[in-house]
Amino acid sequence: MIEQICGRYVTVEIAGRQQRIYFEEAGQGRPVLCLHTAGSDTRQWRHILNDAEITATNRVIAFDMPWHGKSLPPEGFQTEEYLLSTEVYMETVLAVARALDLDQPVLAGVSMGGRIALQLAVHHPDAFSGFLAIEASDFQPAWYDIDWFHRPDAHGGEMGAALVSTNISPHAPLTERWNTLWMFQQSGPGVFRGDLSFYTQDDSLVGQLHRIDTAKTPVHFIVGAYDFTCTPEDAKRTADQIDGATLSIMEEVGHFPMSEHPDGFRPFFVDGLARMPQPQAQIAG
Amino acid sequence: MHDTLKEIQAGLDRSPHLHRIGALFSETVLLKVDGQEFYLVFEKGRIDRIVEGPSKKTPYRFGFVTDAEALRAFWQSLPAPGFHDIFAMVKIGRAEIVGDMLLLVKNLRFFKEVLALGREGVAA
Repeated sequence: MIEQICGRYVTVEIAGRQQRIYFEEAGQGRPVLCLHTAGSDTRQWRHILNDAEITATNRVIAFDMPWHGKSLPPEGFQTEEYLLSTEVYMETVLAVARALDLDQPVLAGVSMGGRIALQLAVHHPDAFSGFLAIEASDFQPAWYDIDWFHRPDAHGGEMGAALVSTNISPHAPLTERWNTLWMFQQSGPGVFRGDLSFYTQDDSLVGQLHRIDTAKTPVHFIVGAYDFTCTPEDAKRTADQIDGATLSIMEEVGHFPMSEHPDGFRPFFVDGLARMPQPQAQIAG
Repeated sequence: MHDTLKEIQAGLDRSPHLHRIGALFSETVLLKVDGQEFYLVFEKGRIDRIVEGPSKKTPYRFGFVTDAEALRAFWQSLPAPGFHDIFAMVKIGRAEIVGDMLLLVKNLRFFKEVLALGREGVAA
């Protein structure tokens, strides 16, 4: 069986450097731009991208961040320490949306992708029609040492996968649990650490969330009860800072909902999309 | 508790993938439950023996300290949130990890899967 997902590459300039970005898409209609978690890649969105009902009315797009999946690191990376920053992350999402000519997509981000979705809701709301903040919060200090995941005497990917397994629900099908962990095991040296540096040390979103105008760009949170990196309490604390934001809790799902437990996540994602504005062209049609 | 640990030991003997993953793991791990000490002596990915404490003379590399009720919840086939994983148990305040944390992290998949062999239907 040949799947409907189509993958291509686009080169964009980010922070003055050329980045060759891999992206996948499926469907037509309202653009929905999807962001993967730290230490992983676009494959996390495989089930949504293959969902015929969702892609009948939505053009679903997901891309690998530079250094992740099939997006190569930039030229000269071999002597660089990879550390993701809020500024570069926002610029990356905006550059990809522009390069793909997406007209005010819904932005759906998970974990660190959810964090940057909220940053973009604060700083660049006009570029998007709405935000799905999945397993997302304003700030999560690390309960682990991020340096564990990049050291010469152990495999960072295997340790990272074992760590994040904490956040996968026991209700998740075994196959999807291990598919989800495999992506972490494949992560490039130091990449998970560099993502976590952003996720666990950059607290620049704190105190900014009140600036989001949900009348213009709705924000809907989705969080899993088995997520112990961003707990339902963390998501609620964050949602409570945004007037008009809404929140749904998935009782049998963890931190990687679209990948670990596609059937458990799907109804919540469909509900989230229904809360986002329809493009003017579709309303008129 | 000792019976469950013996089941884990036997379940590990029947788990060749864990012998491969734990091939370099020959260490002693303390499991402390409601103050009762069990020293799991691992040898190349198998539990060679289980030594009951108390002991102040048995060296161990890391320890998992919890209570019996929490461990029973962890060993349910579908544990409730917080009891589904050893680090989650630490986060909800029902367990503590002592000793060489980095050694645990380097062998995290192995140790998590070994302890989960006590889960209903896993070690059978």
